[in-house]
Amino acid sequence: MKTAATLTVNGAAYPVELDPHLSLLDAVRDLIGLTGSKEGCDDSECGACMMLLDGKPVNSCSYLALQADGRDVTTVEGLAEGDELTPLQRALLEHGGVQCGFCTPGMLISATALLREHPDPSEEDVRIALSGNLCRCTGYDGIVRAVRSAARSSA
Amino acid sequence: MAVGTSGGKTFIRPDGREKVTGAGRYTADLASTGMAHAAFRYADHPHARILRIDTTKARALPGVVAVVTQGDLPDVRFGGLVQDRTLFAKDVVRFEGEIVAGVAALTETAAAEAARLIEVEYEPLPVLTDFVAAMDADAPLVHSDWSSYERDEQMVADGNTISYSTIVKGDANAAMARADVVVKSRYESDASQGVPIEPRAVLAEWRGDEVTIWSSTQVPYAARSGVAQTLQIPEANVRVVVPLLGGGFGAKCDLHFEAQVAALARAARRPVRLVFSRQEEFRAIAQRREGIVMEFETGAMRDGRLVARRARLVLDKGAYCGEGGFLGQMAAMHACGPYVIEAISVESFLNYSNRQPSGSVRAPTAPQVCWGLEQHMDEVARELGLDPVELRRRTLIERGAEGPTRQVFDEIGVKQTLERAVEMIRYDRDLPEDEAIGVAVGWWPSGPAPSGAYIHLNGDGSGTIVTGAQENGSGAVMAMPTFVGEELGMEPESFTLLYQDTAAANWDMGSCGSQTTFNSGRAILAAAADVRGQLLDAAAAELEVDREDLELAEGQVRVKGSPDRSVSIADIAGAGTIHGKGSGDVPEVPAGDTGGCVGRLGSETFAAPQLITQAAHVKVDRETGVVRVLKVAAAHDSGVILNRMGADGQVTGGVVMGLGLALSEGTVFDDDGRQRNPHLLDYKLVTCSDAPEIEIDWVQIPTENAGPRGSKGVGEPPQVPTAAAIANAVAKVLGRRVRQLPMTPERVWAASAEVGS
Ligand code: FES
Ligand code: FES
Repeated sequence: MKTAATLTVNGAAYPVELDPHLSLLDAVRDLIGLTGSKEGCDDSECGACMMLLDGKPVNSCSYLALQADGRDVTTVEGLAEGDELTPLQRALLEHGGVQCGFCTPGMLISATALLREHPDPSEEDVRIALSGNLCRCTGYDGIVRAVRSAARSSA
Repeated sequence: MAVGTSGGKTFIRPDGREKVTGAGRYTADLASTGMAHAAFRYADHPHARILRIDTTKARALPGVVAVVTQGDLPDVRFGGLVQDRTLFAKDVVRFEGEIVAGVAALTETAAAEAARLIEVEYEPLPVLTDFVAAMDADAPLVHSDWSSYERDEQMVADGNTISYSTIVKGDANAAMARADVVVKSRYESDASQGVPIEPRAVLAEWRGDEVTIWSSTQVPYAARSGVAQTLQIPEANVRVVVPLLGGGFGAKCDLHFEAQVAALARAARRPVRLVFSRQEEFRAIAQRREGIVMEFETGAMRDGRLVARRARLVLDKGAYCGEGGFLGQMAAMHACGPYVIEAISVESFLNYSNRQPSGSVRAPTAPQVCWGLEQHMDEVARELGLDPVELRRRTLIERGAEGPTRQVFDEIGVKQTLERAVEMIRYDRDLPEDEAIGVAVGWWPSGPAPSGAYIHLNGDGSGTIVTGAQENGSGAVMAMPTFVGEELGMEPESFTLLYQDTAAANWDMGSCGSQTTFNSGRAILAAAADVRGQLLDAAAAELEVDREDLELAEGQVRVKGSPDRSVSIADIAGAGTIHGKGSGDVPEVPAGDTGGCVGRLGSETFAAPQLITQAAHVKVDRETGVVRVLKVAAAHDSGVILNRMGADGQVTGGVVMGLGLALSEGTVFDDDGRQRNPHLLDYKLVTCSDAPEIEIDWVQIPTENAGPRGSKGVGEPPQVPTAAAIANAVAKVLGRRVRQLPMTPERVWAASAEVGS
C-alpha cells in the first residue's frame, strides 16, 4: 500500500507515492533521481547518506521517507548556489579533504549543520561533529582543516 | 633537484567539483532502461558438496528474468597463480560467501526473494578454519582436486599449503650459533578488511555479442580479461568502464562479480545491476587482509650487528587463490625488513582454509609482519641494552648495502627518515608514565609494469589525455594534466582526461601496487614528449629555425631569447593531427642472488623501495586497556614527490587506516569460518574524533631506475609501520608486549595485567 506524499528537496516539491518502509535515502535517490547522497552501510554507521531535515542532519538510510512528508530536505546537491560553490565546498577541495569523494556528500551536510550552529568551531568541535561520518581515504586531516578554514573565511 | 613545479603547488583536482556538488556518478548511481536487479544466493555451509540445485521456484516468481548457475556457463576455473575457482560454485562450496547462483529480477525485493527460493541440497564436509592446523596430516582438504588445476610451477600445491617460499642468505644456523644474544618472539595478527566506504556495484549491458560493464573496480583491465576468460569471449568484446570509484584500498582489486553480472544480463536479455550491501561487502569479496602467525629469531652481536634472522610465517589464504598467490613470499621479505642482516633463513607458508579468501589490501602482509618484526627488533634492542632507535641507526640499510637476497641498494633515505621521525616527535622528551613514544621502520617495493598513454591535441589547441590509469581517489590520475601541461608549456586546464575505460586506452595494471604515478605517469610523460617533438618539428619548419632553438611556454612554441618569434600551439594543432603516444621504458627489477630460495613469486628483490619511519606518541589507560594515539610523525622516502597534496593525503589516510589496524580492526571468524562482525557497528573504523595529529616529512632523493622524475610509489607504504610504532609505544608504557593484532582494549588490558600474555 503506497501513500501519496510530498517531499520537498532542495526547495523543490516532488509529489511521490511512498511505500511505508521506503527510506528517505531510497526515495530521494530512486524516486526523485538525486543520487548525490550515498549509501555506505544502510545501518546508521557511516554517514554517507546524511541529509538535512528541517536543518538538522539525519542519516537518511535509517529515516522513513514518509516521516519527511511536508518537511524540508536538503541534500548535497542543494548546497551550492547555482554554479557558485560554498566556502566549505571550496575549502574541502583546497585542503585535500576530498579523495574518492564517497563520504563527501555526508561530510558536507554534517559540516554545514555544524557551521550554522557554531560559526567558529574549535578543532575539537569539528572532530566531534564529524565523528558520525566515516572517511577511509583522507585520515580526516584535510577535512578538519577545510571546515575550520571555511568557518574563518565566512566569519 | 628535479622537482616538477607541481611539487609544492596546491591544485584543485579535476574531478573535485563533481564530487563536492553531488553531481558525480558512482556505479550504484547508474541505471539503464529496462534494467533488472541482481541478487546472489550464497553458500548455506562453509564447506559442503552440492548435491542438487533446483531453481524452479525462483524462476516461477513474478518479475524474475534470469537465474544462472555454473551449469549454464563455460566450465572454466580462474585465479592468479592457481586457477582454483569458478564464477558460481561447482560441486563444492568452500566459504560462507561462495556464490551458488545468481538471479536477476525487475525489483530488488523480487531478486532477493528469488535467491532465497533456490533450493540447494548439500552434503556437509568437515570445516577447516584454523590455517595453522591446516598443515596437520589429518586436516581436511579445502581443495581435494588440486592436480587438475592450472597453476604456476612455483606454487607447491601440497595438502592445504598453496605456496611455500623461503628467503635464504648465507648460513643462518651457523651465524645464530655465534651471536652474542639470541631473541625469539611470536606474534599473531587477525584478519582484517579494506572497507572502502563505497560498497561495490556492477552494471552490465550487452549489445549483440559485446558487453559493456560499469564496475567499481580498481583494476578494469584485470576485470576485462577475467570476464573474457570465464565467459570464453574475446577481450575485444568486453569493455569495462569505471565511473567515479569510491575507494578501494586493494579490496576492489581482481575480478569481482563483473562476469557473474554479465552472465545474468546475457540470460535476462536486459541490463542488470548488482549493488552490494555492507554485509556482502564484508563477506562475499575475495580480498581481505590475511591473518598471519609469525615466529622470529634474531642473533645479534653486542654492538648491535644483526648476524642471523630465522623466521617462520604462516598466512591465511582462505578458500581461493585470487590474485593473492604471492602473499607468502612478500611476507617473507617483510620478515627481513630494511636491515643489514648477515645470514637469513625465512620460510613462509600460505594455507587454504574455509574462510573468506584473502588478497591484496593496501601493502598486503606488510603492516602485520612489520608490526611483529618491529616489536621483535625492540626486544632485541632491549636484550642488547641499546635504545631501539640506536639499534636501527646501526642496522638499517644504506647505499651499497645488501638486501635479504643480496640486492645492492642505490641511494636510499631510510636512515634520514629515522632521524626526521625522531626529531618531529621529539623522541627524547620526558613524558607522563602512562604515555610513551614508539618508533618503527618499514619498506615497500615500487612495481615496475608496462603502461601506455595517448595525448590528442584538438583543433582548437585543447587536449585530451587518454590513459589506462585508474583513479582510486588518491589524485594520482588527477595530477596528470599538470604533468602534461608542464611538458608542453600549456595550462593543465587545457586538458581533459579520458580514463577508466578499457576501450579507450592501453592495458594498465590499475590502481594497485602504488604504481599509477610510477608507471602510468611515465607513459603519460613519454606521450607528452612525443607531442612535444611533433610541435617542435612543425614550429621549426614554420619559423625556419633549428628545433634546439625553440621552447614551449605559455601555449606557444617560440624562439629562445626572442619570444616574439613564435607560433601558437593552437595554430599548429589546427588540423587536429597531433597525436602523441608513449609507454616509456619500464624500470628494471634489481638483480639478487635467489639461488637458495624456493617459491620465487616476484617479490625476491624490491625495485625502487620506499622506506618509512613512523613514530607514535600514545597514552594508555592501564585500567581499561584503551590506547589513545596522540600524534604520529611520518617520514617517508618515496623519492621525489610530484604532487605534494596527493602524497600527504596518502600519508594521513594511511596512518589513520594503520591506527585502525593497530587498535580495533579485526575480522572475527566463528568455528564455522563465518564472520561474526561483518558490519561497521562491530568492525570499527577510526572516526574523526579518534584520528591523531599527523606530521609529515618527505626525504626527497631523486631515485635512479625508478618512476618519472626520480619518484617512487606513495600509496601503500604509509600504512606499513603505523601499527608497529603504536605497539612499541604501548609496550613501553606497559613494560610488556601485546602479541595479538589488533591490540584491542581487552588484549592490552590482559597484557598489562599479565593475563595470558
Ligand atoms: S548509509 Fe546511512 S549511515 Fe551509512
Ligand atoms: S574521500 Fe574517500 S571515503 Fe572520504
